[in-house]
Amino acid sequence: MYFPMMVIRKKSIVAVGFVLLVSISALAQVQAPGELTEMRILLLNGKAHIGNGDTINKSAIAIHKGKITMVKNALLITIKENEYDTIIDISGQHVYPGFIAPNSTLGLQEIGAVRATRDQQEVGTMNPHVRSIIAFNTDSRVTATVKTNGVLLGQICPRGGRISGTSSVVHFDGWNWEDAVYKMDDAIHINWPRMYSYDWKNRSRTKSKSYDKSVQDLNAFMQVAQAYNDVKFHDDKDLRYEGMRTVFNGVKSVFVHTDFVKEIQDVIAFKKMFNLNRLVLVGGYDSYLVAENLKNNNIAVVLRRVHSLPMYAEEDIDLPYKLPKILQDAGVKFCLNNAGDMEQMGTRNLPFYAGTAVAYGLSYEEAVSSITSNAAEILGISNRVGTLEEGKDATIIVSKGDALDMRTNQLTQAFVQGRFMRLTNHQDDLYNKYKMKYGLAK
Amino acid sequence: MRYILFALTFFCLNQLIAQDRNLYPTNGVKNQSDTYYAFTNATLHLGQSISSKGTLLVRNGKFVKVGTVMSLPKGTVIVDLKGKHIYPSFIDIYSDYGQPKTKPKSVGQGPQLESRKNGAFGWNESVKPEYSTAKHFTANEKKAKELREMGFGTVLSHNKDGIVRGTSSLITLNQGSERGLIIKPEVATHFSFTKGSSKQSYPSSLMGIIALLRQTFYDGIYYQNKKDNLPLDLSLGAFQETIQLPKIFEANDKLNILRADAIGDEFGHQFIFKGAGDEYQRMSEIKATGGSIIVPINFPKPFDVSDPYAARFISLTQMKHWELAPRNPVLLVNGGVEFAITTDGLKKPSDFKLNISKAMAQGLTESDALAALTTVPAKIIGAQDLVGGLRVGMYANFLVTSGNLFDKETVLYSNWIQGNKFVINSENLIDLRGSYKLKVAESDRSLIVAGSIAKPTASIEYNFVVDSVDKSGDLVLSEGTNKPIKVTKRKKVKALISVKDQQVALSYKLMDAFYSLAGTIHSNSGLWEGNGTLPDGSWAMWAAIKTADFKDKETKVKETLKIDTSKTGSITFPLMAYGLDSLPALRNVLIKDATIWTNEAEGVLEGMDILLQDGKIKAIGEVLDLVDARTIVIDGKGKHVTAGIIDEHSHIAVSRGVNESGQASSAEVSIASVVNSDDINIYRQLAGGVTSSQLLHGSANPIGGQSAIIKLKWGWTPEEMKYKNMPLFIKFALGENVKQSNWGSYNTVRFPQTRMGVEQVYYDHFLRAKAYDTKWSEYNSLKLSKKNATITIPPRRDLELETLAQILNKERYISCHSYVQSEINMLMKVADSMGFTLNTFTHILEGYKVADKMKAHGAGGSTFSDWWAYKYEVRDAIPHNASLLNEMGVITAVNSDDAEMARRLNQEAAKGIKYGGMSEEDALKMVTLNPAKLLHIDDRVGSLKVGKDADVVVWSKHPLSVYAKPEQTIVDGYILFDKNMDKLQRTKIASERTRLIAKMLKAKLGGEETQPIKEKKNRIHNCNVFSDDGN
Repeated sequence: MYFPMMVIRKKSIVAVGFVLLVSISALAQVQAPGELTEMRILLLNGKAHIGNGDTINKSAIAIHKGKITMVKNALLITIKENEYDTIIDISGQHVYPGFIAPNSTLGLQEIGAVRATRDQQEVGTMNPHVRSIIAFNTDSRVTATVKTNGVLLGQICPRGGRISGTSSVVHFDGWNWEDAVYKMDDAIHINWPRMYSYDWKNRSRTKSKSYDKSVQDLNAFMQVAQAYNDVKFHDDKDLRYEGMRTVFNGVKSVFVHTDFVKEIQDVIAFKKMFNLNRLVLVGGYDSYLVAENLKNNNIAVVLRRVHSLPMYAEEDIDLPYKLPKILQDAGVKFCLNNAGDMEQMGTRNLPFYAGTAVAYGLSYEEAVSSITSNAAEILGISNRVGTLEEGKDATIIVSKGDALDMRTNQLTQAFVQGRFMRLTNHQDDLYNKYKMKYGLAK
Repeated sequence: MRYILFALTFFCLNQLIAQDRNLYPTNGVKNQSDTYYAFTNATLHLGQSISSKGTLLVRNGKFVKVGTVMSLPKGTVIVDLKGKHIYPSFIDIYSDYGQPKTKPKSVGQGPQLESRKNGAFGWNESVKPEYSTAKHFTANEKKAKELREMGFGTVLSHNKDGIVRGTSSLITLNQGSERGLIIKPEVATHFSFTKGSSKQSYPSSLMGIIALLRQTFYDGIYYQNKKDNLPLDLSLGAFQETIQLPKIFEANDKLNILRADAIGDEFGHQFIFKGAGDEYQRMSEIKATGGSIIVPINFPKPFDVSDPYAARFISLTQMKHWELAPRNPVLLVNGGVEFAITTDGLKKPSDFKLNISKAMAQGLTESDALAALTTVPAKIIGAQDLVGGLRVGMYANFLVTSGNLFDKETVLYSNWIQGNKFVINSENLIDLRGSYKLKVAESDRSLIVAGSIAKPTASIEYNFVVDSVDKSGDLVLSEGTNKPIKVTKRKKVKALISVKDQQVALSYKLMDAFYSLAGTIHSNSGLWEGNGTLPDGSWAMWAAIKTADFKDKETKVKETLKIDTSKTGSITFPLMAYGLDSLPALRNVLIKDATIWTNEAEGVLEGMDILLQDGKIKAIGEVLDLVDARTIVIDGKGKHVTAGIIDEHSHIAVSRGVNESGQASSAEVSIASVVNSDDINIYRQLAGGVTSSQLLHGSANPIGGQSAIIKLKWGWTPEEMKYKNMPLFIKFALGENVKQSNWGSYNTVRFPQTRMGVEQVYYDHFLRAKAYDTKWSEYNSLKLSKKNATITIPPRRDLELETLAQILNKERYISCHSYVQSEINMLMKVADSMGFTLNTFTHILEGYKVADKMKAHGAGGSTFSDWWAYKYEVRDAIPHNASLLNEMGVITAVNSDDAEMARRLNQEAAKGIKYGGMSEEDALKMVTLNPAKLLHIDDRVGSLKVGKDADVVVWSKHPLSVYAKPEQTIVDGYILFDKNMDKLQRTKIASERTRLIAKMLKAKLGGEETQPIKEKKNRIHNCNVFSDDGN
């Protein structure tokens, strides 16, 4: 019942039987991560969306010891069945690299209204030393419902303050944060000051009086941090500046969160001022207005949620839907994200944002890239994930139909670093529990 | 010749003291009074007519004779006003002159559920009909002077605080004892849609305010009928005692005028409305109210849009209103709406005349402007025999001017109030403006005098010789001498001028040296002469001789007064982006060769035509014919046609709050009273295929408020958007929101704080409703003769219990916000015991756990597709909920509760296929037929069936696919969204903005004062938003 489309050949029976057994017994248990298998696995005849824009209609994708060992056109090669322990026929199905959710708080917050479950926002303004990775809860029930829609990786980010802290990139099928981590301490996150601030009392937005001061404070912090880190070792350590150490040598990226065009222009100047090679814009609602400038300065965009309302009544009603297309045409590197209201649980809809972007002009494979290879490049993990290419991690999903359309998104297989990932979560368990109660279970 | 007096300030206080002298002791000798004063030879502006050589005879502060030729009594003081004009002084009937500012009493952190006012007054602090302006009035000379200088003589003043504000007084701007200033103590009663200083929790929303007002009107009647058997309530007593006075309602918004009028209609009262100057946006509806309008003339200043990026914060509405606001007065005249002008909202006094002239530049005539400041306000408040004209018996409140009142050049000399003279500008003013030859010591300069007659400005022009330089800054040398060529240049510097009668003082700085001159003006010859100090400190004679008259400014004035309406943009419905120039005409529509999702037994039909005629679905068939030549034909090949999407749970298009959170039950409030037609989300959702929505009250309390079910008729009025014979609904809510779990540490006072308490709230209210209903049934079954007998007083009309009784009588349905199974079960048990069915559980995220019980009870479910984990009570929510409920035979819908999600409810429905394997046809019904059934409108909408309303969507692709987009959305046969029309709209918005930005920049460059960028935004609601967005 868990691998209905699987055609099992030859000696793979035992191995797959083992997987089935675990899956069924998991019904009554808390879901556990998949186990690493030594099996040589072949996914055969699925339509492969490589992630870099290419497709293979009938593909042969081999997995061994956590890696993709072959990606070929099945029509052009001879399959030697004895080279595989398991051959899974996925004819008519779609294969994608695991989807990636940047700028996420999955695992940091479980239930928004319950304060005890909120771990994403520390006290203070300049918190580069605060690290999300150690708070990342691999056992989040929310994350479990996200990965079953194909979103297998995420950048887990602190929130709040001017410098929120340091994020890390993880996969969603780990026992603990140590084995979930994909890229430790990948970036610091800056919330750029607001040039126009909203006044709730008067229900209006007016020019902020503190903008210049806030930018100066940030620059001053950066300058001191830079000077501090010119010295390799300090007897008296300042943890905030220590947290900035790898920012200036380009190891740690700088993710700057802002939407308004004039702020974006200031961010571009900021990048130049501190010579920040790896600066990424997050949100970037207005990025289309300065696309050329962003492109010339090699700034990528983690784009504001596609399923959102235009900021202004005068704008094209579908502007948020078509921003991906506009940035694509302008040559700006971008990926999609889900920050905003209900951001943790809503992450499972990430593939559908890509689907909407297709409806509003983006090509299908570009849309796939916007949640796979582009995201991997922007997060600095493209050497390991983001495309279906030989040598990369076998972090892969197989969907019965088009995974970007909710009508057809149905995972039949998922691998995280070559391990079979379980395709159910507690919500399926609850569903099955009540189907049984009502006598509807088949 | 009798006495001719130039300065009449002598008799200032005599008039009023005269009135007092018999009642009050006098310190000193009693004043001689009863003197006659005659104002002769003036041009009298008598409203409709003008009398060129008129005389006014005044005695004891009132006009005793008005005419051209009259014999004057002996002992009359004569004031010769030859060449001058007399107008009645203005009246502002929307003033708070002399009223104390009511400051809110500070409260603790927790909610204030009860009134903190001391005394035998009503239960709500914002209802204070007992307030009397007369009893709290203190004259304020500073403010009075400011108003007199604008031309006002009388104000109707009230304390602008609260929802029911008490009575106002008619007060003159004279000086003296308050006793003489209040010329009518109780003139009108005042109402508003703002709570003011009250910090009491209730009401927290506009709909709460409306309900509170209605209940107060009912209670006033009840209290009067039953006074002897009720405890004393000074508020209700005063309310009823003053109810027959004129009623002025501060609406401050075009839609609020319509809302206030609905309240008036219910009780047979006609309000006078205080507007916001935006009446032109809904002129015909406002005309239909029959009410007079008090309009402010605080026209917005142009925004400083010099930064194009920041200019994006300014909405098209703000821009268009800036342009159209000065036209509002003339449009009111054209629309036949009676209006008075108020200074309310004016930032500074000088804007008054400026803005009147702006309105006149848009076509308002002097007589209409004057009427709006004199006769109309007087008439509106029933004071037409006291003030507002130059008629016998009226107070002698009048203006003396140099010419036509609103002309830029006209000088207001004096404002006479109750026969007292207040000098505004000297009557000896000379127009000094022009060019002069100024001779100081040996040198000749030019003196330019400009500005206004009353406030002239001066500058000095002189020649000086310099070396010539070329464009790059190099010296230009003479070819012969090789020396720099000398050129003469003219320079202008500002000078300070002050004039008092014939005396003038002038000082200026030339080439770092100061000149200071004083002298006398000979107005006949145009010569000025005198002595002054030179830079070296020595005294010298000087003189100035007029060489030319002043002119350039005059031509400018005429230019601005030229009436030009072609320059302004169109008034769209609504006045915002994507608004319509006019409402579309109803045409027939034929969609050909499409895939038609009928939602009926026929299922999905391929390659069929569907005809929409007269707003209804006329036929579905293989090949249908055109009805007439004007039928719109849509090629449906490759397209899908479905019924319009219906959102069971929406909070768009609501003004000022979706929650009345002040009490545990707010059954008396109704979203239907606050539907807002000016919400861009109406258009955005049409573009997502939505045609009908239930606008629900929020979830702040166990018993929420009544719903509105609307069609998304973009451009129409709120009233027109509502369903005819709208099924009656009320929102209930359970769980964390109603027990205020997530409202912070201070909201721990209001009952209930647990689920246990919620049940008891229901029992308590339903039991009371039952008793209430019985009382009324008994009363209604009485014989007519008995009813008419004075001894039988009808029971109190209680809007809250009446609503709940409708539930018991199965006339009103419940849509209940719900999450966990225990409370869902509880509410069904409450309903069972009270003998009604719980119609809809909305959200119902644990519905799958009690689907069998819901089925047995007969309840439907309207759920989210996949939301969960945002609160503790939704931790067991599953996205399979809709599928499982549907499979169990519960009527199930998928809703949005979110302005964004509602734009793609088809996608949310499609999730039912993914989670739980729903069939595609069933999935579509989740957002069409099933919500129609839950809302009891499935006889009209929800499926494509002949005879139903033509609410239809044409989709580009399979409607459940993420790739599908609506190409046309049709409501009642009107195509209200069309992808091509949408494209045109976008171009139109861009060009209109460009035009207006250019116009604002031009205004800024022309020296007009601007206002900084300020974005106004309507709040987007979901059921957790608790605030009233109002002012």
